Amino acid sequence: MNVQFLNPFIEAAFAVLDAEVGVTAKRGQLSLQRSAATASEVTVLISLVGQVKGVVLYGLSEATALQIVSKILGQPFAEFDNLAQSGIGEMGNVITGQAGQRLAEAGFESNISPPTMIVGKGTLISTLDFERLQVPLETELGTLQIHLALRESKNNMVPHVASIGVA
Amino acid sequence: MRVEFFNPFIVAAGEVLNSELGARAKRGRLTLDKADYISQDITVLISLVGDVWGVVIISLQFDTAKTIVSHLLGEAVTDFNELAQSGIGELGNVISGRAATKLAEAGYDTDISVPTMMVGQGSRISTFDIDRLIVPLETEFGVISLALALREAQNNSTQRPFEVKQPPTIN
Repeated sequence: MNVQFLNPFIEAAFAVLDAEVGVTAKRGQLSLQRSAATASEVTVLISLVGQVKGVVLYGLSEATALQIVSKILGQPFAEFDNLAQSGIGEMGNVITGQAGQRLAEAGFESNISPPTMIVGKGTLISTLDFERLQVPLETELGTLQIHLALRESKNNMVPHVASIGVA
Repeated sequence: MRVEFFNPFIVAAGEVLNSELGARAKRGRLTLDKADYISQDITVLISLVGDVWGVVIISLQFDTAKTIVSHLLGEAVTDFNELAQSGIGELGNVISGRAATKLAEAGYDTDISVPTMMVGQGSRISTFDIDRLIVPLETEFGVISLALALREAQNNSTQRPFEVKQPPTIN
């Protein structure tokens, strides 16, 4: 994975956590993973299409998600209901959108997909042949785990509609 | 609900299953699903970005996936290993890519994302405010289920379920 794709996401996440949630995040230890990620209790998945392609996952515990959404929406949430899910999905959307702007400024135009949310621990999430850079952001509300599986696209058109089954 | 967005996927899936696997897919009963989607053994997620916007979820059971990959690779696959995952991901990719070509021919330019794969049943998948059309495709290998959560892109800043402050996409 190209490391220059990392900082836009970290900077965007810091900015959004600060502006929307009012917490200061600290970056934990980076790691590069080749195997599948084990889903957190709550995972937001957003794809990138364009000069940078791939997928970004935001993983957090339900307790952390509830605390974050309580801060974003300014009311306490005890249950991870639809509104709470929307709030967390939107946080992923805003972080990714801002990171996309930063990538565009660096010369990599990309569009982001709508967020998809996965709730339920233990499922394996595989980015197939994309390596995944895992970045924990630690906050007073808990850890937001960012997984970046991104690469530069040589071709902006429909990505790799290649022959089937060739690994 | 825009029927013209869904048919390309149903047709593309039928064509790909036929050309790659020699399978004849029979469309089961369509249902519209607003609640969370519960994952089956294997789930492939592919997002669409462009004039059509959303996500395509392809689900199947382990046994179905293993039979399909065995056919694709021409050797018996007993374990759903990385090679098998890659085969199923690629199948999703080819179906979506072909559907995107059909959408483009109909005047909707849309890019597809790379596939992401989930392994393990019982997780809930939410597509937020985008309803899903569930299309079961019955084949001799088992059922392949398509969940299509698609809509036409509007002004990108108005299609969020909940707004914070920043526009969601950058152009």
